[in-house]
Amino acid sequence: MRNFLQVMVDAIALGSLLALVALAIGLVFGVMRLINFAQGDYITIGAYALVVPAASLTPTLLIGALPIPLMVAGVLLVVVMLALATERVAFRPLRDSDPATLLISSFAVSYFLQHMIMLVHTGRPKSIGIGQALTTPIEVLGLRVPGIQVVTMGVTAVLLIALVLFLKRTPMGIQMRAAAENFQMARLLGVPANRVIAMAFVISGLLGGTVSLLLIVQTGTLDIRMGLMPVIFAFFATVIGGMGSLVGAALGGFLVGVSSVLLQSYLPEGLRPFRDAFVFGLVIVILLVRPKGLIVIGAARERV
Amino acid sequence: MHAGKGIAILERVWPVLVLVVPLMAVVVLADLYGSVMFQRTVTDALIKIVLVVGLYIFIGNSGIVSFGHIGFAGIAAYFATWMTCCAMMKPITMTGLPDFLRLETYSLWSTALVSVAIAGVAALVIGLVLMRLSGLAASISTLAALFIFHAVYANWDSVTMGRASIVGVPTYVTVWVALGGAVLAIAVAWLYQISSYGLATRAARDDEVAAQASGISLYWNRLIAFVLSGMVVGLGGVLMVHFQGTISVNAFYLNLTFITLAMLVVGGMRSLAGAVVGVVVLTSVADVFRRLEAGVDLGAMRLSTPVGTQEMFLAALMLLILVFRKDGLMGRRELRLPRFPGTGQGREAP
Amino acid sequence: MTPPETAAEPRPTRLQAQNVHVSFGGIRALTGIDLTIRRGEVLGLIGPNGAGKTTLVNVLTGFQAPTEGRVMLEDQTLTGMKARDVARAGVARSFQAARLFRDLTVQENLVVAALGAGLPRRAAEARAHEILDWIGCAPIAHLTCDGLSYGDERRISIARALAMGPSFALLDEPASGMNETECAALMQVISELPAQFDCGVLLIEHNMTVIMGVCQRIHVLDGGRSLAEGTPDEVQANPAVRRAYLGEKADQVALTI
Repeated sequence: MRNFLQVMVDAIALGSLLALVALAIGLVFGVMRLINFAQGDYITIGAYALVVPAASLTPTLLIGALPIPLMVAGVLLVVVMLALATERVAFRPLRDSDPATLLISSFAVSYFLQHMIMLVHTGRPKSIGIGQALTTPIEVLGLRVPGIQVVTMGVTAVLLIALVLFLKRTPMGIQMRAAAENFQMARLLGVPANRVIAMAFVISGLLGGTVSLLLIVQTGTLDIRMGLMPVIFAFFATVIGGMGSLVGAALGGFLVGVSSVLLQSYLPEGLRPFRDAFVFGLVIVILLVRPKGLIVIGAARERV
Repeated sequence: MHAGKGIAILERVWPVLVLVVPLMAVVVLADLYGSVMFQRTVTDALIKIVLVVGLYIFIGNSGIVSFGHIGFAGIAAYFATWMTCCAMMKPITMTGLPDFLRLETYSLWSTALVSVAIAGVAALVIGLVLMRLSGLAASISTLAALFIFHAVYANWDSVTMGRASIVGVPTYVTVWVALGGAVLAIAVAWLYQISSYGLATRAARDDEVAAQASGISLYWNRLIAFVLSGMVVGLGGVLMVHFQGTISVNAFYLNLTFITLAMLVVGGMRSLAGAVVGVVVLTSVADVFRRLEAGVDLGAMRLSTPVGTQEMFLAALMLLILVFRKDGLMGRRELRLPRFPGTGQGREAP
Repeated sequence: MTPPETAAEPRPTRLQAQNVHVSFGGIRALTGIDLTIRRGEVLGLIGPNGAGKTTLVNVLTGFQAPTEGRVMLEDQTLTGMKARDVARAGVARSFQAARLFRDLTVQENLVVAALGAGLPRRAAEARAHEILDWIGCAPIAHLTCDGLSYGDERRISIARALAMGPSFALLDEPASGMNETECAALMQVISELPAQFDCGVLLIEHNMTVIMGVCQRIHVLDGGRSLAEGTPDEVQANPAVRRAYLGEKADQVALTI
């Protein structure tokens, strides 16, 4: 029983992290039908912003050297600016393209950013010690839980609530939901497309920066591909949850995180290495059974 | 009448000739005068043509962007490795292989045939499931298929040696062999494109609803395209591994997927000529950058661009094409023979 | 024109909607529609916008499953069949928007349909050529469809439906947007269809000149219900029809011509 609870804590912590990434992807998809693979590189760049560019494997801290509140603000700012820049330069001119073209373009942006990091920081993984105090386990109800997991869950909960309040209560949030429901209609009704989309990217940047920090504390490693796995899983989480549905994205994030940890713990020994294959297989199964995901939004069949 | 027939036939094969003849010319020149380095570049480009033309067979005709095809190249390449690689090491390092692979070594011809067939079978199995989907859902699930391939092969240590490279695969792919592969791929793609199946698949690409109303099966036609395309991409994988002599699972993952897709996008996703042109253009660009990265002597100074600029330029170029010339350099056109008055398919009708 | 070579089985003589109901969510689009199209005739289907005409065609061609009722081709039940199989069974259609395969040539558009009907390639090319000739589009056979004029687009979309060699051709507003000359030519084509292709035609059209000029019978829909059916003269004289049209759409006074 205790073992099971421990597994569940792991599962929910991972699920929280993925939910944050999935929300960012889902939000942007909602307003412009773009599956933004570059979200992973936002995360990576946010993390690299902590250190001075150098070939050294234990680089000097840059933003990471600031007091914690400033450090957090600094990382968030960098990622938000980056997200806005990619929107302005790459995605805005493609706004009216079909989703597959947009997906390709986000691959291009991601490839660009990845090699930009490689150019600036070199491609080798580096170690970095930030917030190591958080990694020591704390006792919760007889379970030994790493502090960072508690923080991850807490931060996710706070951000989820903040996001819900933003979407329900503020004029901008309401416009954004309207745009996610039916972008053309929202535009006709006077929703300012540029601002809504920019706002979606700002939020995806905030979420991305948060994930950068959480990941760095967890792993203590900088790696060019550190954003890749989270974004792949989160991407499929949004697919499972239902593209364009934010509740679905968050739900999908938890679902993927939980099933991945459960598979890791309970698959027969021989199959465990193939855990990820099962998770991706699940995605295909769900697409086949419910092509629009678990939570369907604005499901309009093409009129003949 | 005979002259008319001759022109009609020329008209049919022209789009292939116009692609193949310049490639042959380059290969002859490379063989006669080119440095080893240049020959390698040409060989690599020809193999890329096989891969990209393979991609084109599905993406261009069906209009569905697939992110998963490089997985078929990987499947074929690994199978070719198992059939031909390192007879001494195989029984020790790849203990999970069945005896007929672990203990035997096969001829290169039969290896190529079997490996391409295996890629076809894999494409058939995956296509049977995925071709039920359309549009974005289909694209996403091909990406999921690529990740499944990677997750399985990267962890199936007993037969793939995990993420490690397998070395000692026989290298027989010269520039001429690669040319043979490219010509074969282009010919197959063209024959498919003008076949009834290709026509039906392109119709469904333009309008799914009208295609159904015309009695066309989206599922079966796309499945045929998917399998054929998987096999040609598989051939590309086989050539790749027999060119490089080593194989690792990361060679068949996101980077190669991106590069090949970029080539197709830049050349034009909707045109066979575009697939070839895209490879040629991007290979040339990459070659220029490779020289720049190695350094250029400018009088007393030696300038070199930092590593990574090539890829950044490639990505930027791809974005520019997507924004300003969505159908790529070739648009949606093939390089056709100028039409003579009174020729064409209309005349063929009895 | 050679009738399609389905020599083995006799061609069906009628396509029927039997008590067809369709509702989307709570909205009733069609209520208890009975309609028979006979081979050899042109049946007009008219009604104000939103009357359910296109929905009925969608039901007849398998694009929309009826909530209740069924579609019969002679003795064969079409209900529940995929659109593609309905088309192969011999019920072809055109669309309000031409929906051509825009990157294919005109000839290829027709070949696709002929292939879809099960013809081998050579025969499909021949039939496409023959139909294009007949409809007067042979000169544009080798143009791709993305640059066609509006009138050509509409003619090709009809030609494509005919290339299936259908027992029944359902044409959804083929004359929309055409000028008078084009309309006159189209009327000529449509009235010759039953004899030329040995088929029945269902014609949805707003242009009353066309409808009154080519149809042997007319079926009137209003608000998803059948309002009347009869010869053009009977329908024109029907008070309920006049009320539906004149009441809702003053610009349809043309009905009285």
